[in-house]
Amino acid sequence: MTTVINVLQALILVLGAPLVSGIVSKIKAWIQRRQGASIWRPYIEIAKLFRKEDLVPPSASWVFRFAPKVLFGTTICAVAFVPVVHPSALLASRGDFFFLVYVLALGRFFLSLGALDGGSAFGGMGASREALVSTLAEAPFLLGLVAISILAAHADIAGMVMWTLQRNVFDISAVHILAFTSLAMVVLAETGRMPVDNPTTHLELTMIHEGMVLEYSGPSLALVEWASAVKLHALLALLISLFGPWGMASTVSVWGTGAALLLYLAKVTVLMILLALVESVVAKLRMYLVPDFLGVAAAVSALAVIFTTLVKG
Amino acid sequence: MGLVAIATGKFLSSFSVFLFLTVLLMVVARRISTSVLLFSLQSAIITAEVFAMGVREKLAAAYVVGALVLLIKVIAIPYAFFRLVDRLKSPRDVKASTTPTQSVFIAGAMIYLSYAAVHSFGQTVHVPEDALAAAVALILTGSFLMVSRKKALMQMLGLLVLENGIFLAALITTFGMPLVIEIGIFFDILVGLLLMGIFTFRIRDTFDHLDVSKLRRLRG
Amino acid sequence: MQVVSIQVAFGFLLASLGLLAPLVLIASRTKRARAFAITLIVGSNVVGWFVAALCFWGESKLALTFSGFTPFPFALGLDRLSAFFLLLICTVAVPVAIFAVSYFDKHYGEQRRNWIWAFFSLFLLSMITVVTASTGFAFLVGWELMTLLSAGLILMEGDSAERRHNVFIYLLMMHAGAAAVVASFFLFLPYSHSLDFAGIRAASPVVPAGIRVLIFLLAFVGFGTKAGIIPLHLWLPRAHPIAPSPASALMSGVMLKTAVYGFVRFAFDFLGGGPSWFGYVVLVAGAVSGLLGVLYAIAEHDLKRLLAYHSVENIGIIYLGLGTSLVFLANHAPVLAALALIAALLHTLNHALFKSLLFLGAGAISNATHTVDLEELGGLQRRMPVTGTAFLIACCSIVGLPLFNGFISEWLTFRSFLAGSVLLNTKAQIVLPLMVGVLALIGGLAAACFVKVFGVAFLGRPRSSEAEHAVEAPLLMRGGMTMLAAACLLIGILPGVLLRPLASLTQVLIPGAGVPDETVSIARIIPWIAAIILGVTAITALTTRVQRMAPTWGCGLSQLTSRMQYTSTAFSKPIRFVFSSVYKPDRKLDKLPTDKPYFPVSISYRSVRTTSYEKALYRPFVDLIVSAAHQLRRLQTGNIQVYLLYIFLTLVALLTFLRFQR
Repeated sequence: MTTVINVLQALILVLGAPLVSGIVSKIKAWIQRRQGASIWRPYIEIAKLFRKEDLVPPSASWVFRFAPKVLFGTTICAVAFVPVVHPSALLASRGDFFFLVYVLALGRFFLSLGALDGGSAFGGMGASREALVSTLAEAPFLLGLVAISILAAHADIAGMVMWTLQRNVFDISAVHILAFTSLAMVVLAETGRMPVDNPTTHLELTMIHEGMVLEYSGPSLALVEWASAVKLHALLALLISLFGPWGMASTVSVWGTGAALLLYLAKVTVLMILLALVESVVAKLRMYLVPDFLGVAAAVSALAVIFTTLVKG
Repeated sequence: MGLVAIATGKFLSSFSVFLFLTVLLMVVARRISTSVLLFSLQSAIITAEVFAMGVREKLAAAYVVGALVLLIKVIAIPYAFFRLVDRLKSPRDVKASTTPTQSVFIAGAMIYLSYAAVHSFGQTVHVPEDALAAAVALILTGSFLMVSRKKALMQMLGLLVLENGIFLAALITTFGMPLVIEIGIFFDILVGLLLMGIFTFRIRDTFDHLDVSKLRRLRG
Repeated sequence: MQVVSIQVAFGFLLASLGLLAPLVLIASRTKRARAFAITLIVGSNVVGWFVAALCFWGESKLALTFSGFTPFPFALGLDRLSAFFLLLICTVAVPVAIFAVSYFDKHYGEQRRNWIWAFFSLFLLSMITVVTASTGFAFLVGWELMTLLSAGLILMEGDSAERRHNVFIYLLMMHAGAAAVVASFFLFLPYSHSLDFAGIRAASPVVPAGIRVLIFLLAFVGFGTKAGIIPLHLWLPRAHPIAPSPASALMSGVMLKTAVYGFVRFAFDFLGGGPSWFGYVVLVAGAVSGLLGVLYAIAEHDLKRLLAYHSVENIGIIYLGLGTSLVFLANHAPVLAALALIAALLHTLNHALFKSLLFLGAGAISNATHTVDLEELGGLQRRMPVTGTAFLIACCSIVGLPLFNGFISEWLTFRSFLAGSVLLNTKAQIVLPLMVGVLALIGGLAAACFVKVFGVAFLGRPRSSEAEHAVEAPLLMRGGMTMLAAACLLIGILPGVLLRPLASLTQVLIPGAGVPDETVSIARIIPWIAAIILGVTAITALTTRVQRMAPTWGCGLSQLTSRMQYTSTAFSKPIRFVFSSVYKPDRKLDKLPTDKPYFPVSISYRSVRTTSYEKALYRPFVDLIVSAAHQLRRLQTGNIQVYLLYIFLTLVALLTFLRFQR
């Protein structure tokens, strides 16, 4: 039964991901007083891309062809670590958060190589900038998770979520706030959202992720787009399960799971509204201010780790 | 009643943690208006704490003080600041002398210091530890803001943060000062701000900028 | 029976590497003799591998004494630790030797080829002597031979003033380091009365605390020089890149590891840990070496120098593990100390595998294109698919990505940092978990660097005609690289094979250590991760449709050229910019002609790193020595009477000494 729920959770994360991107852009459109595209549009786009032709530059090797597939595979694997409605996931009790972070890194490594394989300047530019951002984002990402795991005395994500579930909202400590701040900043950077990267631009001065995937088309592009939507959804779900898991079904029952699912939808909606707000209010940072942004995230996460010694007593 | 007492107690200790966040955000803020907004937020948290204290200790005077804080620090002073920024027409940048990362590390070190200092004797004095640590941290970071920002406006803001810290410390340790003294302090602050505001205009009129680091030329 | 056969096999390894193969190579110049010698080298290493495997996985032990033939006690032996390092040497030596067959054939004439093989064989023997020595004398003999023979291998490649200068620096620093190692051995002597390892171990508890500190610091500096921790790494980026590629692979992959072996022997086996500041010293050295090593690497575009700097980085990661282990040991947490030590030892093996593979890859590239400058390469993956794929596996491994071996050891290191939070010591509670951030930054920078290396060298379009016309490496080269790549993948997916014996190895070194849970749990989860990633990738690969070739859009230009691609320098620019305080670059932009800056005919740009250890750290030291030497020169008058006077005075002084000693 738990396995069924775990598979269900993974399916929610993977299949619901385009909807999350769709809703975020819809909210952004509303904030900008536009009608906006339908929230189902990402599904239509992915379906359309899957039907289209896949073009490959003549200079490219197998790395270019395989990069989107590896990216998709690693993203799916990362999903298996993230709880949604039940404090467990397919691999969450077997493996810890280091796996989650490094499995994502594997996909990014291959996508950057694929970008360089295209042989154009844009791919190199995107890969080079992505290298900078992901290099600097890795330390705060891990340190933020380390802080929570020290408090919970568990390294596996299921254990961390379980620990938070057993506490109440008023027990939040400085560590939680600091860790949440740094992880939220990291999520913005990792998923290529606004102050760091603009997901809607195709202007060479500013683009990072879009620069990397410029040479991809058809099904390959569909996989890349889908994978980045899944990554956004999974990281939002990770934030929810680490910092606000209350309402998750701790016992296995249909009603409990249904209620938890509804509550999850409410929580993820709040996060999506916040994300859309941040993206609408904040201006994109100049490339060389991004290190400052991530430096602040690193400092905050380091503080979170230091504070664990005080909070534990 | 018991439930309310527990809730307010929890509130007092856990929401002071948000004060750390405002402080951290303040030292990385690059615009004066952001800093003012954060100050307003910070004061709002303190207002909430005052009200919570009033509920717990059943002090009517606390509500008056709370209302005063709300009126002056959350609304009036930030409003005055925004007007000032508007009227001065100086660049909106805070002109920090440290990079954001350095600032966060320094502010973090100060928060840790205050936490550790309070921690060592927190068990003997029966006060909520988190809140007292937050108060000390506010005092320290207020001073840090005054030291490291070159704009005169930011020094006023730093002073206000410092004052917030003193106010919070007083609130936590003595469960609220007598009403008269509180009101006296508020007036002190207001007069001080008024004077500094006038000086700011003077500085601007005389030197065409607000960068106090350039006041060195006044030296005889 | 088994003991005897192991002894015979080990004796065969020593004899064929030390005597038979070199003698055959020097005595006879025929092709058949050389083939026989090479077969002997490879074969004896395979035999050595099985000996090591029996002692590492099994319970066998081995001891050989030669004290009858030598003036000092000379004995070799294999306990688990030695067997692990012997395993490492033989595992790397076999593929490197196979690779070297076609590499040396292509690069050297008949005459020199035999000599280089003889050196190669003796170099392997010297390293085996170091890790299997069971007396101080045997260790030091191996240690010195190792330095000299590797210097010989570097000089085989060519002879120029610059090369000689670099070799001089190499030898100088090695001997300074060796002096520290000798001193740390001799400090045991008053208490143990012999340099027998067993005697040292037995005597170690009675050594007073002050002397223990001195021994530890001397061993740290001595072995640190050989391992190349910053700031003692100066020789490493000079010596490694100029050796022939197979020799670089052995130097970076194996020779550095003998220093790790020596340090583990001293710090854990002989001294059994110490106060916790020992650990912090090692930890800081590891963190600094790791960060600066990778930052210097990322700014390089000479592939072999870049790889040499990555050796500094990886030694840093190994030292992070060793330091953590020492901290745990000082805080009486033997199981966690074992975890960190396992992480360090496994990373030692992993680094040996992927670093030698990377150097072999560099050799294959230079063999095909006659250059290792990244700016001249590009598009090699299509031209050298096997080399490229093996190189990619090595890149993924060194970066520490899951499914590859580097990840296993880095994960264990991460987990040992995280475990620091359970100690009761506030300093350890803060420092160790924060090291997660340091290692994450090192890993991130390494990922950026190897995206650059592989992307610029192997992907995209060729940047020179040599790269354009490159052909795949010959069969033996491919074979050597494939073996190492397979080993990387094997450890990456089935780490349990090595983790179990490593756990029993640490139980010997750290009394009271059980098997850490982490070593069991990682072996369980990795296959799951591999199944999901490979499964989903395979499904998507099978279901997507055929792809069509179409040229990259050139933004309106008719044709994209390779000059429009990102170069290695351009790729690393953002990182160099962010960390410019580390490099303190001196930039120079020259436009010609100077009177028309907006219509330049040629633009040249140079950026040099100005942070230098020579200036800040070594210069005062060197000045001191030189001035001391000048003072001493006054003794050398050239007058024969004065020299006689010296002898006379010495005699008088000695007699006086004898008189007053009574």
